[in-house]
Amino acid sequence: MAQVVAAMALTHSPGLTGWFDRAPENQRREARGALDTMRERLRAARPDVILLFSNDHLLNWPINNTPEYTVGIGAEHAGPADWYDEWLALEKYRIPGHPAFARHLVNEGARRRLGLAYLRDMQFDDGVSVPMHYLNPEGDIALVPVTMNCTVPPIPTPERAYQVGATFREIVKGYPGAERVAVVATGGLSHEPGGPRYFWVDEEFDRWFLELLAAGDHAALLRECTLERMEAAGSGGTAELLAWMVALAFTTGPAEVLAYMPAIAWRSGTGMVVWPHAAD
Amino acid sequence: MGNVERCDKTLPLNEMIFYVRRDAALRARWLTDLAGLAREFGLGQAEYEALRDRDVRRLNEMGVHQYYIPQILRLFYGASANSNAHPALEAYRKAYPEEAAASDRLQARLGRGQG
Repeated sequence: MAQVVAAMALTHSPGLTGWFDRAPENQRREARGALDTMRERLRAARPDVILLFSNDHLLNWPINNTPEYTVGIGAEHAGPADWYDEWLALEKYRIPGHPAFARHLVNEGARRRLGLAYLRDMQFDDGVSVPMHYLNPEGDIALVPVTMNCTVPPIPTPERAYQVGATFREIVKGYPGAERVAVVATGGLSHEPGGPRYFWVDEEFDRWFLELLAAGDHAALLRECTLERMEAAGSGGTAELLAWMVALAFTTGPAEVLAYMPAIAWRSGTGMVVWPHAAD
Repeated sequence: MGNVERCDKTLPLNEMIFYVRRDAALRARWLTDLAGLAREFGLGQAEYEALRDRDVRRLNEMGVHQYYIPQILRLFYGASANSNAHPALEAYRKAYPEEAAASDRLQARLGRGQG
């Protein structure tokens, strides 16, 4: 039976690699420190596979067909996608996949009435490339990416994301291998990519959201942090936090907030958290 | 709901950008044959003109998905070092001066980076 050995979440804004040096020194220092801590905690958990929840920025699926969730089932993942490498200032990388685990997710999802699309050759932009650059720089921990649609309406609700997370948790627990699984969620915090408030960060929302995570009451978080509240804090981007709510379902109790930066230079509220305790 | 709800999922321009970004041959034509690309993807005249004019506000108001507008600008201006001082972001500053000024005030309060 597979076991969840780590759960964490972080921002994946392209500025974290593409124009990192444009943020004030205190923000760069805080980001580096938190990312180092996350990488060390991830290593210490000795995962066999990273189950990464991110979102598709209309890269893998055209706007006429945007599945709610998509699993990357390939034996190897390669990124960043052409054209995005220049934007992210990243060299091409390769990371092994875990096809048996990934295909188990897809098929068991279907048996539990959770429809999961899949891709053998998933393309990667900031959503996967930025967290892998910082957390898995050697590409030596296998990766199973799961992308969600939280940018093309209709955008799912937090309750739905948490429910999907709980189903994923059951499916992971039911995997016949003894894999040690690290759950990583990426996206958020407040930002409005490509909208009128492109340069805006809603620090008040971000700190409120992180306090809810630190309080550890999942029901309260789902009740308070509505889709409308996320949209008000930055349309079309803040709802990437739905990936965090998927991960939340793998955990119990408070999150430890490692860092928060209202990083206008990176055009995103920027945060990093770890959950010390996995749910049973 | 917010700005993302403006998106017109059936707008031909929203289909066109998906394919252009993923195809080096189409990207190469962006700066040399935008009109030809627009014809092939069935863009209306208003879509084509907003695109040609790099008009951020018009693109947003006609329902281009907000993720695609910065990508359209990067196809015109280049993708590297896409900081707030990049020409693609300057186009946003011109399109939404009030929102940009509010962000500048926030930036000043928080301590200024290098833009």
